Amino acid sequence: MELTASQKDALTELINIGYARAAAALSDLTGHRISLEVPEVAIHLIPEISEKLQRVIVGEVASINQVFSGPINGNAILLLDRGAAMLLNNLLTDRSAASDLDGAAREVITEVGNIVLNACLGAFGNLLKIQVSFTVPHLQIETVQKVLRSITVSGDELEYALIIHTRFHMRASDVSGYLVIILGVTSLERLLMELQKWEERELS
Amino acid sequence: MQVMSEIIDDSASPREGALLSWIQQFAPFGVVTLDESLRVQSWNGWMGQHSARKFEEIKGQNLFSLFPDLKERKLTSYFERALQGESSVLSTSLHRYLLPLPSPFRETDEGHMLQTARIAPLFSGEKVCGVVLVIEDVTQRESQAQTLHRQHRRDELLSWTLAQLLNSYRPRKEIRQLFFKVAEQLDFDTFLVYFGDVPAGTLTLDSMGGIPTQFESGFIDCPFLKVLPRESFAATVLNSIQTHEEPEYAVLRKAGISSAVIIPLSAKNRSLGLLCFATGTRDSIHADESDLVTTIGQYLATALDRDDTNQMLNKAKEELSAHSRLLETRVRERTARLQETISELETFSYTVAHDLRAPARGTTGYCEVLLEDFASELPSEAKSIVGHIKKLSNRMEMLTRDLLEFTKVSRQEAPLSRIKIEPMIKEILSFYDPAVRQAVTVRAPLYSVLAHEGLLQQVFSNLIENAIKFVPPGTAPKIVIFSELVPEGSPNTRSRSLEFSSTESSSPEEARTRPSPSADHVRIWVQDEGIGIAREAHQKIFGIFERALTSDLYQGTGIGLAIVARAMQRMGGTCGVESELGKGSRFWLELPST
Repeated sequence: MELTASQKDALTELINIGYARAAAALSDLTGHRISLEVPEVAIHLIPEISEKLQRVIVGEVASINQVFSGPINGNAILLLDRGAAMLLNNLLTDRSAASDLDGAAREVITEVGNIVLNACLGAFGNLLKIQVSFTVPHLQIETVQKVLRSITVSGDELEYALIIHTRFHMRASDVSGYLVIILGVTSLERLLMELQKWEERELS
Repeated sequence: MQVMSEIIDDSASPREGALLSWIQQFAPFGVVTLDESLRVQSWNGWMGQHSARKFEEIKGQNLFSLFPDLKERKLTSYFERALQGESSVLSTSLHRYLLPLPSPFRETDEGHMLQTARIAPLFSGEKVCGVVLVIEDVTQRESQAQTLHRQHRRDELLSWTLAQLLNSYRPRKEIRQLFFKVAEQLDFDTFLVYFGDVPAGTLTLDSMGGIPTQFESGFIDCPFLKVLPRESFAATVLNSIQTHEEPEYAVLRKAGISSAVIIPLSAKNRSLGLLCFATGTRDSIHADESDLVTTIGQYLATALDRDDTNQMLNKAKEELSAHSRLLETRVRERTARLQETISELETFSYTVAHDLRAPARGTTGYCEVLLEDFASELPSEAKSIVGHIKKLSNRMEMLTRDLLEFTKVSRQEAPLSRIKIEPMIKEILSFYDPAVRQAVTVRAPLYSVLAHEGLLQQVFSNLIENAIKFVPPGTAPKIVIFSELVPEGSPNTRSRSLEFSSTESSSPEEARTRPSPSADHVRIWVQDEGIGIAREAHQKIFGIFERALTSDLYQGTGIGLAIVARAMQRMGGTCGVESELGKGSRFWLELPST
């Protein structure tokens, strides 16, 4: 399944709106100006994601996972490579680099992931006029394969993943993250349908 | 249960009811439920206990009215979003706490319990009907993490300081830079380093940081000596300095120092100085901090001691090498003087020998004229006397000839090359009668050697001539010449015979042409069945004008073996003899093989 150019544009814009909210929330929280790059959006078969992500993320990742349900069902995961997660924590909390992610650091990463995921998914819900509810976020530090395996096993009907690749900029540093939203087939069709409606509303 | 029943759906199973009851009474975290207008609907036992407010007091009140600082801290949006279905996590690092509850530790600076919180929507079917807050107390966890973090930073600082001191060749020079960093990391604003002897009171200020310029002069003479316990080598903490009114604290008070740690530096029971870290902003110094800087002080003392030892070692090395240079120079000078003297003596010997030869020859000539032309006129006694004069002058001529030969051996250039011995022996023997030639047996193989042809020829000529000459009257000489390969300086001959080694007074040029110790050597033996040499004479026969025999039976000048010894020495070889009176002699020569 491929996104058409216009679908891609619409999705990018939709997510960008969510990101603006996330960036504002993070800036408020930290008192530092935080910007999020215009994301790149793509749709992949779930078995393909692992391979694709492994090319860009090596070793363990911090993944923040939130299951959402409603007219659109799925699993939203924000992936940060371990180094980026540590850097993000240090930048946000002004703590010097610890050798490992301790309890407090894990919470910070969870909260940041939560803000970004909520912003994205909330933007979907608001703009598409659908009510989506999310579980409380859950942080895992694992390899990419393990994170993805745990999702694919739990949801049989989840076949496609929407991958949003973005970068956080804060105080001249670069923290890269992958936002992977895994959606079921019907949900994806529903999402694209709702997206179409939103575009039409915007145009009219 | 009465409270929870309000939010329990009628359809809830008894098990769900039990779960809610557990959350209400025993859960180890705070649970608060709010309705759609964010009014408190439930407040579990944990909340009651930690907020010191009973549910009945706050029931139905709006959470933002109960905790106005939620608005001030811009946390209201989380609740609003929860009403739209979003769940949020609030970390303690970014928010410290959600609800301002008193800290379980009284000493916590903040006064608030540190919390991690979750704010989530409560659904009734597909519709949001309220919000649930779950609050976890992480004060203890954070305090432990902070302690660990602090410990980690201190360990890092200690490692860094140790590495700096270990890597430094001159720790004294780097102290200033080092302690600026240490002081900054440890939240001290001042440091002072003195070198010298603490008990003797002879301290010199080395470096300081953080003392206002106008007060610096007060620290040149160490003001801490007056306030330190006498004879103390332990670190001392001075707290509340500003309240000390004694005059010995005046300098510290004026400079604005509130508390200080003073660490006497010592290694191997030797006082090396004093280190002080101080601050003007805190009234007391925690034991952790003083322990840490004391450890740093110990590192510094060890580094200083090592530096002193190194310097002493370097000085000793320099002295030793200067002394050895002086010795070398002296040896060189003395060797040069000795060589000069030897050379002068050789020139003198040559001149004497050369100049004596003509008068001796003249005397012989005149004796011959007298005996031949005036024989008839001379009385028989006079003829006998003239005969004696002729004989003596002949001997003088022989002596001068041999002496000239000897000095020539000493003076001539002697470049070494590969020499085959057998042809050389044959050539020497060709000058003798066939009978003599037959007396000499050459036992093959005779190994080639590194030598000077002319000198080696003289050596063999002398040895063969001696072997032929020194036989008992009426006995035919019997000589065997053979060779063997030996390592250099083979011990059996060292112990038994005299050696003339080139090491005794060789010139540097000769030393360079000498073979390395691993090279094989050739030992050549010239063995006879002659009269032999008494053991006590072995030492002296190789000296000039030394003869083992006093008998007139065997004529000679006593220079032949001296020439052998000197020639061997010039070629970097050695020689010696094994012999007993009446049992023949075995002369040996040792030279490098080729």
